[in-house]
Amino acid sequence: MSEKILDLPLDARPDPDEFVRAAMEWHFSPETGSAYWLERAKTLGFDPRKDVKSVEDLSLFPNIVNELRDVRVEDLIPRGYGADADVVGVYESGGTTGAPKRVIILRDWWQRIMAWMNAGMDAAGFPENVNWLVVMPSGPHMAGKMSEQHATDRGGIRFTVDMDPRWVKKLVAAGKAEEAEAYAEHLVEQAGFVLRTQDVGVIITTPPLLERISRHDDLVELIDEKVKGIVWGGAHMDADTRYLYRTEVFPGVKLRGTYGSTMILGGSNERLDLTDDDACIFDPPAPWITFRVIDPDTGRTVDHGERGQVVMNHVTKNMLLPNNLERDLATRVEPPAGLAGDSVADVTPVARFDDETVIEGVY
Amino acid sequence: MTDPIFIDALGPNGSYRAHNRLTVPDVAGNPLVELSFVPRLFVTRAMSALRKAETLPTEQRLAAMRAAGELFATGVVDGMSAADYQYTVSRMSGTPLPIVQRAVRAIARSAAGSYDSAQKARPVGAVNDWRDPKAREGTAVWIRRGDVFAVHAAGNHPGVHSLWLEALALGFRVAVRPSRREPLTPYRLISALRASGFGDDQIVLLPTDYAEADEILRQADLSMVYGGQDVIDKYAADTTVLPNGPGRSKILVTADSDWRDHIDMIVDSISHEGGTACVNTTAVFVEGDPAPLAEAIAARLSAIPSLPPEDEKAVLTAYSMPAARKIESYLQAKAAGTRAHLGGDGVVDELPDGSAVLRPAVHELDDPFAEQANVELAFPCVWVAPWTREAGPAVFHDTLVLTAVTRDEKLLDDLLADPTIKNLYIGDHPTYWMTPGVPHDAYLGEFLMRTKAVIRD
Repeated sequence: MSEKILDLPLDARPDPDEFVRAAMEWHFSPETGSAYWLERAKTLGFDPRKDVKSVEDLSLFPNIVNELRDVRVEDLIPRGYGADADVVGVYESGGTTGAPKRVIILRDWWQRIMAWMNAGMDAAGFPENVNWLVVMPSGPHMAGKMSEQHATDRGGIRFTVDMDPRWVKKLVAAGKAEEAEAYAEHLVEQAGFVLRTQDVGVIITTPPLLERISRHDDLVELIDEKVKGIVWGGAHMDADTRYLYRTEVFPGVKLRGTYGSTMILGGSNERLDLTDDDACIFDPPAPWITFRVIDPDTGRTVDHGERGQVVMNHVTKNMLLPNNLERDLATRVEPPAGLAGDSVADVTPVARFDDETVIEGVY
Repeated sequence: MTDPIFIDALGPNGSYRAHNRLTVPDVAGNPLVELSFVPRLFVTRAMSALRKAETLPTEQRLAAMRAAGELFATGVVDGMSAADYQYTVSRMSGTPLPIVQRAVRAIARSAAGSYDSAQKARPVGAVNDWRDPKAREGTAVWIRRGDVFAVHAAGNHPGVHSLWLEALALGFRVAVRPSRREPLTPYRLISALRASGFGDDQIVLLPTDYAEADEILRQADLSMVYGGQDVIDKYAADTTVLPNGPGRSKILVTADSDWRDHIDMIVDSISHEGGTACVNTTAVFVEGDPAPLAEAIAARLSAIPSLPPEDEKAVLTAYSMPAARKIESYLQAKAAGTRAHLGGDGVVDELPDGSAVLRPAVHELDDPFAEQANVELAFPCVWVAPWTREAGPAVFHDTLVLTAVTRDEKLLDDLLADPTIKNLYIGDHPTYWMTPGVPHDAYLGEFLMRTKAVIRD
């Protein structure tokens, strides 16, 4: 009975708590749950089928994402899918903090999240039947696969650039800023080859690479001439940068942000109809994906308009990844009417430089 | 509660008030200024605009600089009078008002005279233009090593902004990243330069957070940064960055001279400019017993009054109470094992508004090589040490200004020969002495310019 609620499309509005209860049944019944969760349930100290009754109760779960560095991916597939689950692929986290975490994406979820994100593109006025230039992490990263699917679903040809973000992080961590620079310029050069010779209607890239592309006047000119829309994701963009792109750099091009994570097997869409002075707000597809903005010291949800750290929940038939504290800070915003959880604005990384008072010396 | 003063970025398309702003408080902790922080994209576009811009022709440029210096020092800039500006700077940075006023006049003088003083750095074999008749026989022409110059400015003293004017005078397009402690002086100076003829794409003010600051340097041809030893080390191998580091200025009095004849100069060198400049004396070395000298300095410095920075008689720099306490505990940790003549029981003196001044500190060392002699703190804090013939010139390595009161010519030869002693003042000249045309830490022109051979028909 309740399983049906888990199969609804993402524009449906199921009762969020009923939805969570159905998901608990699915993931923790011996007949349908994954080997991983059935084993893990033994040490939870509570019974998810009895004790987790609402979106709020997801916070009972420990954050298990670190375990995804070692788990055999087959053990992540719920048994309810049967022996021949339709696997879209295995995707890995960026690898900022050690060995990568792995998730497995199954066809039914993939189709629903892509349908929802495509509807978001339509609503934002992004054109169909144009080609896409994808300058996003490729290889094991979900962003590359998602962009490929977008282009296909929307009737375009996809051009790609190889990109390994882990190598860049390694270079930066080792203090090899010059090499990281050279790698980034290498990516921009390849994007330039495509932009100069091909019809490109949409670009999808990260904010740091978009900023680098913008340093090249010839590329800016080509984009203003050919490109209808730019999608950014995978990193943060502040309101001032967005304002500059919209008013000075790419005034005729639609600019749209996505905020997601491999650990939610998808993302959220930028809220439409905001002014240039509004912060960039992201609304996740609740209750499949929900956000909560908390005070990391107390674990309590902050007030609307206050800043806190983002907790993400992914609750689908495909996977259960609850209560994951991300390394992002955001302002808590009211979600669209009737949706569970929080929307987020002004997302920034947690690690920021503090204003250190230098003592010795006069400067 | 008064309205905040907005310090916007001054970009290539005019001023920009960012969403991302830092509230800069006055020394008592009350919000005073809203400083806009621009993102990386703004930085790269501004730097690229500077690169594409033209340089104003020399005559026009120098006239604009002269006018801007006047306007900066005496006029109304962006709605703010000169008196309001000076008061605000003293409340924000804690710099005593008389010091702000002197610095303002010095900036105006630099604006008018930078080109001429920069010319002192031109090699005697070089001319400024290929049109010079000397080019017909072959000559060197003095040219810029690049087009775009960037400064990460310091906020310890408004006077730091007189130095980069030389780059502007020599024809560089200039980007200034202000200090968050005192961004008002460069904002006002650049606003005045723009009002006097410089284009928005010829001089920019780019306030940024730390993450974007390096981008300014990366996209400039040449830059100048201010900072502590860490900053010096960071840019040591970079030939395009000129670091301005610790001063660690010192005075030496040898046995052939009596320090009593120079006590005014010594005390002035310690406390002038509130003790916050790199040219303030950090340590005094005396051949013989340092105790009587330390006692005499302490007696003189203890007479300085504790006054709020906006007072016309203020001498000491004010700090927020937490900043003052932090410096005090650092001093106490460093001073362990030394003999305090002044300030041994603490140096923080609270002012009525809750801010504090750091009162002078005088400590006696027993070894010329004691590490404390290089501990430079931003208030009148001095270490008095014995100097011996055996210790010799080595104790003066890495000193910005050394005043040597001695008749020993061999010693003076050695001190002059040491390239890590940047300036040598012989006799009764305070370490803070400066005059246009005489280098502060070598001529800036040595870094900004090079020569090119030219011969013509």
